[in-house]
Amino acid sequence: MKIGVFICHCGENIGRTVDCPRVSKACQWLPGVEVSLDYKYMCSDPGQNMIKDEIRKKKLDAIVVGSCSPHMHEKTFRKAAVDAGINPFLVEIANLREHCSWVHDDIDAATDKAIDLVRMAVEKVKRNQPLTTIEVPVTKRTLVIGGGIAGIQAALDVANAGYEVVLVEKEPSIGGHMSQLSETFPTLDCSQCILTPRMVEVYQHPKIKLMTYSEVEKVEGFIGNFTVTIRKKARHIDESKCTGCGLCTTKCPVKKKAFNSFEENLAYRPAVYVPFPQAVPNIPVIDETVCTYYKTGKCQMCVKVCGREAISFDQQDTLVTEEIGAIIVATGYKLYNIEKKPEGSMIKGYGEYGYGKYKDVVDGLQFERIASASGPTSGEFKRPSDGKEPKKIVFIQCVGSRDDSKGFSYCSKICCMYTAKHAMLYKHKVHDGEAYVFYMDIRSGGKMYEEFVRRAIEEDGVKYIRGRVSKITEKNGKYIVKGEDTLASMPIEIDADMVVLATAMIAQTEASELAQTIGIPYDKYGFYNEAHPKLRPIESTTGGVFLAGACQSPKDIPESVAMASAAAAKAMVLFGSDKLEREPVVAKVNELFCAGCFLCKKVCPYGAVEVKEMKDRNGVVYKEIAYVNEGLCQGCGTCTASCPSKSIELAGFNNEEVFAQIAAL
Amino acid sequence: MEELKKLAKELLENKTVAAVIGYQQVDDKRTKPIIVTTPEDASKLVFNEYCLNNLAVYLTKARIKNLAKQNGTTLKLGIVAKPCDIHAIVALIQESQLKREDVYIIGMNCHGVVKDYGMDFSGETLATKCTPCDSHKPLYSDSNLGEVKDTPKVSDEVLEKIQAVEKMSHKERFEYFKKEFDKCIKCYACRAACPLCYCQRCITDKTVPRWVESSPHSRGNFSWNVVRAFHLSGRCIGCGECERACPMDIPLSLLNRRMTETAKQAFAYVSGRSLDTPTLVGSYDVKDSDELFM
Ligand SMILES: Cc1cc2nc3c(=O)[nH]c(=O)nc-3n(C[C@H](O)[C@H](O)[C@H](O)COP(=O)(O)OP(=O)(O)OC[C@H]3O[C@@H](n4cnc5c(N)ncnc54)[C@H](O)[C@@H]3O)c2cc1C
Ligand code: SF4
Ligand code: SF4
Ligand code: SF4
Ligand code: SF4
Ligand code: SF4
Repeated sequence: MKIGVFICHCGENIGRTVDCPRVSKACQWLPGVEVSLDYKYMCSDPGQNMIKDEIRKKKLDAIVVGSCSPHMHEKTFRKAAVDAGINPFLVEIANLREHCSWVHDDIDAATDKAIDLVRMAVEKVKRNQPLTTIEVPVTKRTLVIGGGIAGIQAALDVANAGYEVVLVEKEPSIGGHMSQLSETFPTLDCSQCILTPRMVEVYQHPKIKLMTYSEVEKVEGFIGNFTVTIRKKARHIDESKCTGCGLCTTKCPVKKKAFNSFEENLAYRPAVYVPFPQAVPNIPVIDETVCTYYKTGKCQMCVKVCGREAISFDQQDTLVTEEIGAIIVATGYKLYNIEKKPEGSMIKGYGEYGYGKYKDVVDGLQFERIASASGPTSGEFKRPSDGKEPKKIVFIQCVGSRDDSKGFSYCSKICCMYTAKHAMLYKHKVHDGEAYVFYMDIRSGGKMYEEFVRRAIEEDGVKYIRGRVSKITEKNGKYIVKGEDTLASMPIEIDADMVVLATAMIAQTEASELAQTIGIPYDKYGFYNEAHPKLRPIESTTGGVFLAGACQSPKDIPESVAMASAAAAKAMVLFGSDKLEREPVVAKVNELFCAGCFLCKKVCPYGAVEVKEMKDRNGVVYKEIAYVNEGLCQGCGTCTASCPSKSIELAGFNNEEVFAQIAAL
Repeated sequence: MEELKKLAKELLENKTVAAVIGYQQVDDKRTKPIIVTTPEDASKLVFNEYCLNNLAVYLTKARIKNLAKQNGTTLKLGIVAKPCDIHAIVALIQESQLKREDVYIIGMNCHGVVKDYGMDFSGETLATKCTPCDSHKPLYSDSNLGEVKDTPKVSDEVLEKIQAVEKMSHKERFEYFKKEFDKCIKCYACRAACPLCYCQRCITDKTVPRWVESSPHSRGNFSWNVVRAFHLSGRCIGCGECERACPMDIPLSLLNRRMTETAKQAFAYVSGRSLDTPTLVGSYDVKDSDELFM
C-alpha cells in the first residue's frame, strides 16, 4: 500500500508551533509512506492540486492530511482524493491544529506530538476499507408541529413550494399566542388583522392537511423517512357536519364553570366552545370536564339546537399515522405563572408581587386581552377587580427573567418591547393616566425598536424608573408598589390602580416530553437545542428535524417568522433530491458471531438495531441476531462499546483500525 | 423422587418435551448430568443434595437446542432445575437466548447442596452460594416437585471474605488479586460452566484485533479475569459454577458477588428474578443513581 502524507501549515496557525517541514520529513520514513510533503495552505487550490498530482504520479492508495479539524476540511480533502481516483474513506485527517498547535506552546514537544498524530493516522488509513455512501429515499411531506405564527408560516412556505404539509395543533384552533395580542410592536398594527388572513390561507390550502385538537404521539424512522402517529382528540363534534353556526355555544347552559383560557382566565366560556370568534377551523369542541351531559347524563341542549346533527357525545380519540420526510417543530412558549412555584422547579416564584392574590396584578398576556378590542372589556381599560378605569399603572419588567435566584437566568428578549407597547396603548386611550415602568435595562435592539421605546418615553410620557420592585401591598383598593430608583439612589413608592408584570417567556408545558418523543435535545429550561448556535441555528441535532419560533428561545414575531421560513427552506433542501446521501459510518453486525443477546438493541439511542432471523437452506429459522438499519444508525458507536463479544463494529472506525491507531502511539 | 421419574416419563411419552436435562446418581455422594431422551431412561433421574451442576448452561448449547427440533416442529426441552438454576433460565429468557415456551421447567424445592462431591450434607459442607440464598422454592416452573426442608444456618463466607478484601489497602488488594490471577491457566472452564457466557465467540477469542492477551502474563490474566467479571456484572445469578469449575481454585465468587451486591445496592436489581423487568445492563431510568460513574 502506498500512502501520501500532506502536512499543512495552516498559514501560521499550525506552522507557528509545529515545525511542519520536520514533521513531513520524519513521516517520509514511516512504513508504507511513499511521499510526504508540507505546504502553507493544503486546502487552497494549489494545495489540493499538489495532493491530486501526487496521487496520480505516485499511484497512491491512501492519503493522510495533517491539518485542521476534520469538521473543517475533511470534505475538501475527500473530494480532492475522489477527483484523483481514491475512495473518499481512504483519507484520514490528523488534527494538527485543534489537537496540537492551538493547545501547546513548546515547539519541539508539539512537533513530536504532531509526528505521533500523523503516525497514528497512517496506521489507521492502512486498515481503512473503501466505503460507499448510503442512499436512502425521501418522503416529500412535512410535519409541522404547532400552529402559532411560526408553524403557520412554515406550513404555508412549504405548501406554496408544492409539497404536502401536515399541520398538527394541540388546541382547537391555530393562531397561537399571536391571536391573543392586541396590537404589535413596533408598528402597532392589529395582531388579529394581520394574522387571520394567514390562518384562513392555511385552512384553504390544498396542500395542507390541518389537524387541530391533535397531538403527536409517536415518531419513528429517520430523516426523509419518518412515520408519525398523531392522536386526534375527540371534539365530540362531527367536523364533516358542523357548519360553525355557533348555536350550540350560545345555548349551552354551562356559563361560569370553565375559565376562558384564550381570555387568559379573565372571562368564562361554555362547555361547548370555539376559543375565539376567528378560530380556524371554526368548529367547536365539547369540554367533557364541565359538560353537564358527561356529569349527569342529562342536558343535550346542544343536540337539540344543532340543525346538522353534528354533536356526537360518543366520539372517541383516533390515531392517524402519516409518512413524513421532514419535521418542523414550532410549539412556541408559555408565560411563567409566578403565582405558583412549579413542582420540582428551580424557580422560586414572586409571592411578594401578589399575582393570583391581587386581582389587579396581571401578566402581559392578560393585559393584551384587556387592551384588545375583542377582549373581555372590548378594549376599554378596566381593571379586573371592580371594572374601574385605572388611572395609574405600574409595569414591572424582568419578572422571572434575568434572575438567577428566583427565576431564569436568560433574558426573555421581548418584554422591553411589549411593555413599551402596553404603556403606549394605555396612554393613547387614557390620556390623563400615568404609566410607570420599572426596568433593569432597556434592550431594544432591532429595526425601529429603539425608536419605538423612545416614542413611549418622549411622546407618550411614560415614566421609566431604573430599579427593582421589592414588594406590592394592597391598601384601600390601591396597590402600593415599593421599589428603588437606582439612578436617583432613592427608595420609591407608587400607589397604583393596577400592576402589569412582564413575566418570563418559558418553554411550553411538556416541551421536554415532546422532545423525547421526537428525539431532539433541549436545554435545562426546556427550550429546544439548535445543532450549532451560529452556523446551524435552524436544525436540531437530529437529521430532518428543524426548529422554528419561540420553542427554541424567546422570540418576537418577525424573528419567529424568519426562522419559520428558514426551516421551510431547510425542509425543501431535503426535498431537492429523490435520494439522500448518508455517510457510511454505520454499525455492522458480524452475523457469524452475534449471539443475539440484543444488548445493542437495548442501548441504541436511535432505535437503529432490529432483529433479523437467520434461516437455513430449508427456510427454518435457526437463530435471531441483531441487524442495523443503515438509514437510522447515526454511527454513535454505543452498540460497539456494549457488545460483550465485540460482534458489532462501526464501519470507518472498526476495532482493527482504532487498535492500530492506539498501538502506533 | 418417584414423582420426578413419573413426570419425566409422561412428558417424554406425550411428546411435551424432546428431552429432559437432569441428574443421574453416580455413587451415593455424587451425581452427574444426564440428558434423557426416551421414556425408559426417565427412571435414571434423581434429585438430592448432590445435584450441584447448574444445568441451565446446557440450554445455551446448540447441540442440545437441536434436540428439540424434531420433524419440522420444535418441542420443549425439559430441565430439572433448582430455584437458583431457574434464575439462570430467567436471565437467559431476558437476554433473548431462550423463549419461555421453549422450556419445561421441573422446578425442585431445594434446601441447599454440598460444596463438592463426596461430602456429607451438613451445615459445614453447605455450598457457599446456598448461605445467602433466599429462594428455596422456584420463582417460575411448570411443575414444582420436592419436599420443603429447612436450610442449615451458617455464616456468609463469601461476604466475609469480600469485607476482608475491602479492608486491604489498594496495594495489598492488587497484590492479592495478582497472586490469585497469576494462577490462571486460561483453560476457560469458568466460561464453559457459566450459563450466561453464551457468546458465540468470546471476546478473548477475537484475534483481529486481540482484546485480551492470551499469554500467561499478569497483564493477560488480569484482563481476562476482569473482563469476565465485568461482562457478568449485573447479570451473574450467583450459581458459583465458574468457581467450582476452576481447576486453579481462583476465588471468582468474590468478584461476582461484589458486583451483584453493587447492583443490588445501587439499582435494587438482582439478576434472573423477574421475567417482567428489563435487564439492568441496557436499561435506563432517570432515577438511576449516578454515583457509580467515574
Ligand atoms: C404579552 C406579550 C406581548 C407580545 N407582543 C408582541 C408584539 O407586539 N410583537 C411581536 O413581534 N411579538 C410579540 N410577542 C411575542 C409573540 O407572542 C411570539 O413571538 C410569537 O407568538 C411566537 O410564535 P410561535 O409560533 O413561535 O409560538 P406560539 O405563538 O406560542 O405558538 C405555538 C403553537 O404551538 C401549539 N403547541 C404547543 N405545543 C404543542 C404540541 N405539543 N403539539 C401541537 N401543538 C402544540 C400551541 O398551542 C400554539 O398554538 C408578545 C408576547 C407576549 C407574551
Ligand atoms: S450486543 Fe453483540 S452479540 Fe449481542 S445482539 Fe448485539 S451484536 Fe449480537
Ligand atoms: S452506532 Fe449508535 S446509532 Fe448505530 S446502531 Fe450502534 S448504537 Fe445505534
Ligand atoms: S459468573 Fe459464575 S456464578 Fe455467575 S452465573 Fe456465571 S457461572 Fe454462575
Ligand atoms: S466472558 Fe464475556 S465475551 Fe466471553 S463468553 Fe462471557 S460474556 Fe461473552
Ligand atoms: S477456570 Fe480458572 S483457570 Fe480457567 S480460565 Fe477461568 S479463572 Fe482461569
